[in-house]
Amino acid sequence: MSGETKTDFQIVNHSIPRRDGRVKVTGKAQYVADLRLIGMAYAKVLRSPLAHAKIISIDKSKAEAHPGVYCVVTGFDLDGLNPYFGHAVKDHPLLAIDKVRYAGEPVAAVVAIDERTAFEALEFIDVKYEELKGIFTPQEALAKDAPLLHEKKFEAGALRGFEGDVTAGQGTNICQTHKIQWGDVDKAFKEAAAVIEGDYYFPMTYAYAMEPYVAIADVTDQGVNVYSSAQHPFMVRHDLKNIFNLPVSKVRLIVPFVGGGYGSKSYTKVEPLVAACSWKAKRPVKLQLTVEEAMLTTRSDDAYTWMKTAVDKNGKIIARQAKIMMNTGAYAENSPLVVEKSTNRCVGPYAIANVLIENMSLYTNTVPASSYRGFGCAQVTLPGESQIDELATKIGRDPYEFRLQNAAKPGEEFFPGMRPFDGTLKQDLDTAAKAIGWGTPLAKGHGRTVAVSGSDAGAYPLTSTAVRVHADGSATIMTGSTELGQGSHTVLPQIAAEELGITYDKVNVISSDTAITPYDRSTGASRTTTLMGSAVQEACQEAIAQMVVMAADVLKVKKEEIQSVRGGVRCGEVELNWSQVISKFYALPDGEVIGRSYIRKSGKFAALPVFWEAAATGVELSVDEDTGKITMEKLATVGDVGLAINPALAEGQDIGAATMGMGIGLFEELVYEGSQLMNGSILDYRLPRFSDLPKQVELHLVQNRDGVGPYGAKGGGEASLNSMAANIANAVDKAVGVRIRQAPLTPERVWRALKEKNK
Amino acid sequence: MNLQFTLNGKPWSVDCEPADTLAEVLRNQLNLNGTKVSCEVQVCGACTVLVDNLPVSACTYLAYEARGKNLLTVEGLEKADGTLHPIQQAFIDDFAFQCGYCTPGMIMAAKSLLDENPNPSREEIIHHMDGNICRCTGYVPIVAAIQRAAGMIAKEKKQ
Amino acid sequence: MMPLRKFSIHQPSTVAEASQMLAQYGEKGRLYAGGTELLLAMKHDLLRYEHLVDVKTIPDLNRIELKNGALMIGGSATHRAIERSAIVKQSLPVLAEMETKVANIRVRACGTLGGNLCFAEPHSDPATLLTALGAKAHVQGKAGVRAIAMDKLITGAYETSLAGDELLVGVEIPVLAKNQRAAYLKFQLKERPTLGLALFLELDGDNIKKASAVVGSVSVSPTQSEQANRLLTGTRAQVEKQIGDAAEALANAADPVDDTEGGADYKRHLIGVFLRRAFVKALA
Repeated sequence: MSGETKTDFQIVNHSIPRRDGRVKVTGKAQYVADLRLIGMAYAKVLRSPLAHAKIISIDKSKAEAHPGVYCVVTGFDLDGLNPYFGHAVKDHPLLAIDKVRYAGEPVAAVVAIDERTAFEALEFIDVKYEELKGIFTPQEALAKDAPLLHEKKFEAGALRGFEGDVTAGQGTNICQTHKIQWGDVDKAFKEAAAVIEGDYYFPMTYAYAMEPYVAIADVTDQGVNVYSSAQHPFMVRHDLKNIFNLPVSKVRLIVPFVGGGYGSKSYTKVEPLVAACSWKAKRPVKLQLTVEEAMLTTRSDDAYTWMKTAVDKNGKIIARQAKIMMNTGAYAENSPLVVEKSTNRCVGPYAIANVLIENMSLYTNTVPASSYRGFGCAQVTLPGESQIDELATKIGRDPYEFRLQNAAKPGEEFFPGMRPFDGTLKQDLDTAAKAIGWGTPLAKGHGRTVAVSGSDAGAYPLTSTAVRVHADGSATIMTGSTELGQGSHTVLPQIAAEELGITYDKVNVISSDTAITPYDRSTGASRTTTLMGSAVQEACQEAIAQMVVMAADVLKVKKEEIQSVRGGVRCGEVELNWSQVISKFYALPDGEVIGRSYIRKSGKFAALPVFWEAAATGVELSVDEDTGKITMEKLATVGDVGLAINPALAEGQDIGAATMGMGIGLFEELVYEGSQLMNGSILDYRLPRFSDLPKQVELHLVQNRDGVGPYGAKGGGEASLNSMAANIANAVDKAVGVRIRQAPLTPERVWRALKEKNK
Repeated sequence: MNLQFTLNGKPWSVDCEPADTLAEVLRNQLNLNGTKVSCEVQVCGACTVLVDNLPVSACTYLAYEARGKNLLTVEGLEKADGTLHPIQQAFIDDFAFQCGYCTPGMIMAAKSLLDENPNPSREEIIHHMDGNICRCTGYVPIVAAIQRAAGMIAKEKKQ
Repeated sequence: MMPLRKFSIHQPSTVAEASQMLAQYGEKGRLYAGGTELLLAMKHDLLRYEHLVDVKTIPDLNRIELKNGALMIGGSATHRAIERSAIVKQSLPVLAEMETKVANIRVRACGTLGGNLCFAEPHSDPATLLTALGAKAHVQGKAGVRAIAMDKLITGAYETSLAGDELLVGVEIPVLAKNQRAAYLKFQLKERPTLGLALFLELDGDNIKKASAVVGSVSVSPTQSEQANRLLTGTRAQVEKQIGDAAEALANAADPVDDTEGGADYKRHLIGVFLRRAFVKALA
């Protein structure tokens, strides 16, 4: 059936309660942290106190002699494995080998009978280091006399995900570069009516998935079996296959419920280390990091951006140029892709004739940076949307009107070579502006702004699935998409139930077991509803096509005489539901039909991005000029989602993302002083709380069914984060007349800016 | 050491170390994995359980402290006939969780609030719940769920 | 999970017995009350003890009572008990109000006033307010019982003037007379306050006869300044004129340093902001 014409949805586009509701409110939902295998040992990790040092020696004899310890694994014990991993660049040893590159890097792991014993033994490991000069910022990494973090060249990871050379390990500290260019920015700047230029800084942030990284590995001659809190089990499978030199068929990743991801559980994290522990200890091993260790595992890339934007005399944006330096930390992880994405995301969602964006990520002796909700977009939307407001102010335009004038129009190919814009920014902006009372009087010390972002989202279209229709008419979706809380276990059955014409309760989901569920590249980049949703839809349609043939067989008619109706088939006066078709086909009330689908970069998914993820946010805030403290008065989110399969879930994604973005705008920031992370605990890393809730919140969806996903759906869940830091910076400027080009806008920063202004 | 306490309405006796936290005893010895552990610095509230009706952080609360006391964990809320506690039902109805990791602690903290203040204002909810962190929902639906649960409990009491 | 290293717990039934245990275990032992600070530090392996002496097993050490114009709060009374005590709410509302904002509800349910003061974490709300209120700590050890003024109890970050065998049995806090006012305000971004400011005023008609301003969290222990307190006396109009100088004197005494909670100049500025706000609040 054609999604584009269907409007009388029975199940999709309804806010059906979450499938995982009951297990989650009763404490029965199982996460990896809750799992135990028979004979399982526990690992604890010894971490480097130094940021950059040679490992001279490790004496583990005393620790191995500690009662209850099975073994201690170090970088010297990995003969027989390919110990480096990385889907983009294979630069990451599963334990430090020869040297350490950041304070907090795993140097050894103790495997013992319980966690306490493993922990107690850590202090008996004697590591001798020779400290090396460290580099902590991109600027230091580029200095002439900068020490090299990585001396040797690396292979590109097999699942790199984009074009571009590996620059890592080629004699500089440059991890990745990327550049986009069209038009002639120099000429445009010369002809411009007004230009804004400035330096911006977006901080390192920590996703704080409340379930810290955890994995259980069981390595035997049968293969490598791993339970992990990974977002992308198939990606992790690939790294483990390489490390253990095994066929794909012998590596199994199982992901139960995941306690939050937000990008931080993308790609491989602790799995290689745990698997190596199991391989050495010859038994199942569990490693559960603490939150403080998780903070030493992944963060977002911080970004130094110089940006310049110009308008002509009619208020049309004619040029944007930016130079970005991102700090990727000690290992590449997914930062090469973050570099590519943040480069692209400097443009959107505006149609700009002259563009030059140059981006570079650098290795430093800090915690490795990787994916983070929004994927490079928030880093560049802080400068991008700040400059839109700065320009509007400069030329005396209402920033909301100014945005409307320049926003990409539906169907416009505003980014050369990419999918034409598939959102409706005017409606997004209108809705956000109205929600926060645009144009109504504002109290003194209050500021009100709207902002937008547009991301080339959906990652890469490579997804497969199977839908098994059983003889009782129920169905099981086999999906590689991981339930992180975003609601895939609810949305995918909604789609299947809609397609098969059966009740929602009859559809079950089995997810993220690489030995059982068909391949799905990732659960990230807001892609699940669009790509896995399409796959489920197509698999259901394929199952129906098979059942039509079966019905023809059992009714002894031609296939063309069978008409497909909701929940079954009709042939003349005879109606059969799916249960009857299958039961009659097998002549037993049992058996099944398997519908399949394979999505690749082809057909409606030939053009990239899979979709443009667009959203508008609106804020009103007030500033206490005495302390610099910001209070959020109003917040509006507008998700441009095409069609919300489950509106409540879509809105939940938006407010969740906006709250994370608000955190970055107001106080979230990892702070390094020299080589040491100063606030590596949530005692000192401030997260949004109940008391930060804006006094008034409005959540809106724009549903124009303009996406390529099922029924015109597109993804959401990141875009509302991206514009928040800029929105807050812009609103502070409106409220008290100070322009702050750095997030977060802590009370102290706002106070300093006010002090500077009042000098 | 041997500890005896009432847990979710039933008497229990466990042997543990003085250094064992309540979270360790619940999760590792008593198979009650509903209580989640996250920050371990008493900030996030994921491990909130009630001890003599008071919310505590099971991650840093010694099991020793539970001796002779009355404990309630998220597993103790559902009635024997499968009826959910109004707070649990309201969390489902209002989509007040996503990943679910904070949820057991959030629900227990909400219970301690509604037990002592059956009709809290928005400000009172925020004040009481401010020590429980949720990274997914932005708190908006949680406040709504607690308000809804208060209404459901009031209605139950009338009947 | 972060496991705790093994230790033994001891259950004294009297203060004398607890004191004797502390003396016996020396460096290897520590008094254990609510554990909200101690167990965190032990979990992080910053502190190691083989013996914890549980002060909560001593009967009646959590009593809250009003005696001779002063609140007597037992060393093991929890923040929550104080926050909800009818006696405290009635006789010293500024204390009850401060207690409602200590950390979070779970910490308040377990954490004790005695533990808070004796752990001497520099960001203590109670220490700052109690110093301004002229509270005294009653301590007992093998040498007997003595009372220590609050500003002599806390001697530095995580340091007190208690002897190894002494324990805090209670805090005596004078309740406010009719002509006395007090306020406590804090500025907090992270889990612990960036600044706490307590102000005590004694009035004589329109005149402020006596003042005590204490700033906490910005330096290792709650600080006051005689000069600031002097500048805060006089007619209301005079004090309003002098309050900037008083704030500066207080800031000089506290001598805040640059750290991750803020620059020294910002903290000095905040002292001024919150001294003014506390003054308005106290007199409201």
